[in-house]
Amino acid sequence: MVDRKMVLQHLKTQWAYLKISIKTALEYRLNFIVQTISMILNDLVWMIFWFIIFNKFTQINGWKMQDMILLYTVILVAYGITGVFFGNRSKIAISIVEGRLDYYMTLPKNILYHLLTSRASWFSLGDLLLGMGLAFAFIPLNQVPLYILLVILSSIIILSFSIISGSLAFFMDNSEETCRTLNMGLISFASYPISIYQGFTRILILLIIPAGFVSGVPVQLLKSFDMTWLLYMIGFTILLTIVAISVFYYGLRKYESGNLLYVRT
Amino acid sequence: MNKYIHIARANFINNLMYLQDVIWSSAFIAIIIFIFFNLWTVIFGSNQYIAGFTIVMMLWYLVMTESIVTAQSQVLEDIGEEMITGNIANYLNKPYSYIFYKYSYSIGRSIIKFLITFIMCGIVVFLLLGPLNINLIYIPCILLIVLLAMTLNFVIMAFLGVFAFWLEDAKGLEFLYSKIVFTLGGMLVPLDIFPQWLHTICLYLPFSYIAYYPAKLFVGFGFILFFQILIVEIAWIAAFALLTALVYKYCIRRVSINGG
Repeated sequence: MVDRKMVLQHLKTQWAYLKISIKTALEYRLNFIVQTISMILNDLVWMIFWFIIFNKFTQINGWKMQDMILLYTVILVAYGITGVFFGNRSKIAISIVEGRLDYYMTLPKNILYHLLTSRASWFSLGDLLLGMGLAFAFIPLNQVPLYILLVILSSIIILSFSIISGSLAFFMDNSEETCRTLNMGLISFASYPISIYQGFTRILILLIIPAGFVSGVPVQLLKSFDMTWLLYMIGFTILLTIVAISVFYYGLRKYESGNLLYVRT
Repeated sequence: MNKYIHIARANFINNLMYLQDVIWSSAFIAIIIFIFFNLWTVIFGSNQYIAGFTIVMMLWYLVMTESIVTAQSQVLEDIGEEMITGNIANYLNKPYSYIFYKYSYSIGRSIIKFLITFIMCGIVVFLLLGPLNINLIYIPCILLIVLLAMTLNFVIMAFLGVFAFWLEDAKGLEFLYSKIVFTLGGMLVPLDIFPQWLHTICLYLPFSYIAYYPAKLFVGFGFILFFQILIVEIAWIAAFALLTALVYKYCIRRVSINGG
């Protein structure tokens, strides 16, 4: 049974990290604002790209501009959540390579949870804000509970995939670039209509690089609800989470500390 | 001049030493090309031509634009950070021009990155759709245009990098600039797909000479088009180089460096 006191302690630690992180970010206020706005503009540029495509071709294998907006409401919020609350997910590989896990292993907190939450990526705040704005404008009120569930599942899939790709560093040398490419591959596949992927590619993006479950399946469920696919998505999320946690802790047994001196700031 | 060639050569060799990193980042571009293949296959459907492009031309166009644009290192961010932090002091007492040094350094990396990305993405397209119908004697002309496109990209970035001095942020500016090249430059999609009014505006902007025109020349070579691109690219490079020199001179007088 999950120890409630333990969970509360972890949440308190995460909250403390978030407070420190936002104070640090606000120290360079103008820089913080410019970064957030530039992330929003970056996302808007991609939306302009889709406006241009759909202006010319109206629909792509059944997907229309409205479906792309739904896709953005899901992935922007999902990526925003993982970036702000689990910002260290992109630094797992480098933490392993540089022997930085010592710090997490010596403290009485869950190692993986502590590692993931000890940093916030404020670049993701722009994603989160724009995604929430789009959701507010385009998600009907009766679909909000389903939308929230799908975004949570999508965030867990992104996080689990990051843990698996980051954990490659336990088994491979020079895996930082491999990990980065895998994670960027995930978001790239997820940013396009699932209807463009056919045959083997569709299997690839559903099961190997699970981009289909990050964005395509949630959009299909929001367009026309299907209990079977929702159960598939829940089942897949649970499975991927178990695999991610198992791979990380299995790899941790092979972890070797380094003699690199560094200061945590 | 010799020293700048040495700097470019040194960074070219340096990047060969870290070839694995370059290959991985090029592998990511190859993934993008694969996604584009899926996207354009669906869009083309049974159409043979869209906006004057066959699907083979479209994919080779994208190989060229992606290879040029992603070859550029983070010049804007580097110059901006050095301006903001005062690290520029390390360069000012050296017997070379800071901007020329940055160019030599950047172009050495860009060339190797361009070649590897082009080869990797080219293999993907070759396997999926086959070769592009192109006469090999045009290749030197196309390479010249590509080199000038990378130079134009550099001078615009150097110009904007100097402005980071006032904006206190270089990363955001770099991010924004790259997105402008992605869209208005025609990296993600040929400008011919744009609505007519936007297409016309984009053709007159310098960004189209970084991605759109070199790739358009690559998939549909013509000597008139070649000379037109050559002249306008050189004119834009000269204009931005002059602007950068003026703004840089103004900034350097106002840089205050504290301590060591």
